[in-house]
Amino acid sequence: MTNRSLPRLLQAPAVLLLLVWMLVPLSITLYFSFIRYVLNSLRRPEWTKPALSNWRGFGNYEFVLNNKDFILAIQNSLLIVCSILILTVIFGVLIAVLINKTFMGRGVVRVLLISPFFVMPAVNAVLWINMILDPVLGLQGLAVAGINEVIDGLRTFPILGGFFSMWPELEPISFRATQTSAYAVITMVTWQWTPFAVLIFMTSLQSEDQQQKEAAVLDGAGTWSQFRFLTLPHLARPIAIVVMIQAIFHLSLYAEIEIVSRGNGNKNLPYLIGEFANNNIGAASATGIFAVILANIVAIFLLRMIGKTLMD
Amino acid sequence: MAIVSANSNISRYGRPVLAWGVALLFFFPIFWMVLTSFKTDADAVKPEFLIWFKPTLDNYLNLTENYDYWRFATNSVITSVCATLFTLVVGVPAAYAMAFNPSRATKDILMWMLSTKMLPAAAVLYPMIFLAKGIGLYDTHVLVITVVSLINLPIAIWMLFTYFKEIPKDIIEAGKMDGVSTWGEVKEILIPLAWGGIASTALIIFIFCWNEAYWTVRLTTIDAATLSKLIEGNRAPEGLFFGRLSAVSTAAVGPIVVLGWFCQKQLVQGLTFGAVK
Repeated sequence: MTNRSLPRLLQAPAVLLLLVWMLVPLSITLYFSFIRYVLNSLRRPEWTKPALSNWRGFGNYEFVLNNKDFILAIQNSLLIVCSILILTVIFGVLIAVLINKTFMGRGVVRVLLISPFFVMPAVNAVLWINMILDPVLGLQGLAVAGINEVIDGLRTFPILGGFFSMWPELEPISFRATQTSAYAVITMVTWQWTPFAVLIFMTSLQSEDQQQKEAAVLDGAGTWSQFRFLTLPHLARPIAIVVMIQAIFHLSLYAEIEIVSRGNGNKNLPYLIGEFANNNIGAASATGIFAVILANIVAIFLLRMIGKTLMD
Repeated sequence: MAIVSANSNISRYGRPVLAWGVALLFFFPIFWMVLTSFKTDADAVKPEFLIWFKPTLDNYLNLTENYDYWRFATNSVITSVCATLFTLVVGVPAAYAMAFNPSRATKDILMWMLSTKMLPAAAVLYPMIFLAKGIGLYDTHVLVITVVSLINLPIAIWMLFTYFKEIPKDIIEAGKMDGVSTWGEVKEILIPLAWGGIASTALIIFIFCWNEAYWTVRLTTIDAATLSKLIEGNRAPEGLFFGRLSAVSTAAVGPIVVLGWFCQKQLVQGLTFGAVK
């Protein structure tokens, strides 16, 4: 065994496995996206088997682009991903700065804060949509009912009653099956991923230049300008990384949407693919190729940035 | 001076109070799940038993009857343990080779590996089902373990690579001078030094495998179904079974959350690929 071939041999299994894992399913998807292929068809039974004779060219792509669900799914994907990104970064920075100094019980606070990140997505969604957000039996329902009861009680008061009787009864919001389900998904994923942002920002803050900060204080810089001109620029890189890692994870969000509304009024791209795949494999594959393109746009930026720091 | 002392009072008491408030707020849903798991299904939806109730262990004692919990839990353990081991067996040699014998292509190979992680799962789902059914592996442990390993392999290699890179090469060189064989070099020098990195990679990968919710749900029906599938199947209990649902959820996430507490640091390195320090 020569000096050069051993390292190659050691890398070979990993490289080959990932190559197969990437190329085989992707080429099948690409192939299916160019043919007519459905799971059930009484009129055209020949379409139920994948075959080159069912070639459709860009027909599936046209079909998908002209499908109004596709535009809605893209909009929804962007709405969900962007909202989660903005919320997690803002909360993440605020919380990280908040717990950056030592105080009593900081270790416990960290442990409590990070916990949501380890909850499995299915449990996260089931927990939030049933026990917290349910309009009747969840905490939301109980809270709304409780507030209404208090207001009802206040109405019987002699003078103030007149004022309170002008208040409307509060209506609990249903988070299933309508556009509001997107907000439920945003809430639960933000809850789960804010800890991730906090963890990374906190790690980064520990390497902040303290001498520079002290110099700034001597120069009379206030808390805000310290944050604005020292801390925030220091966090620019971690923020970019948090944004891109999350974008990749959340573009393929699935379990939460399935559990909250089964895609009712709130489909994202992966969900739409799943729906097409119930019968129209050709269209599902074409949508899949669009999803790959979208993910690649994000991935290129992320890889560039990580690549820069890789070898130093 | 007065302003300064008022300021420091705020930061002295305000910061801890606010931090604790935020932490408790974030932990509340988990706390609520654990609390509800000790209520009966009937009590769980009654406002009068919101906080004060008669705790019961029935939900935990009946996990098997209500949900066939242990079957799914066993599958989760089998899948996660085997997938973690498989990932390490493939990943450690690769990361070792790239860290200690980097070639010009190493950086590109690493980047390419990471890019496979970014392939949207939904895009290749149907081909995977098609292939799995074609070779008769649908709903088997072999398939789930293979897929879960492969989606985590890039992260494992990256984590291991960043750990191995930190090990000073001089030590290995010194070993070579002393005439230690390649295997001896691995066993006597590398493993003791890299042990911590390998262990924390294993922990992180185990957590990811356990929580995996796309492929494990889509590629199984019963035989190889994991806890993700079990919970997903109970998406809408219509409020009748909050108690038992909380118990099974707690049992599904409890061990992993505790495990997670111990590897926060490694998580940062693993998920940011060493780009945040």
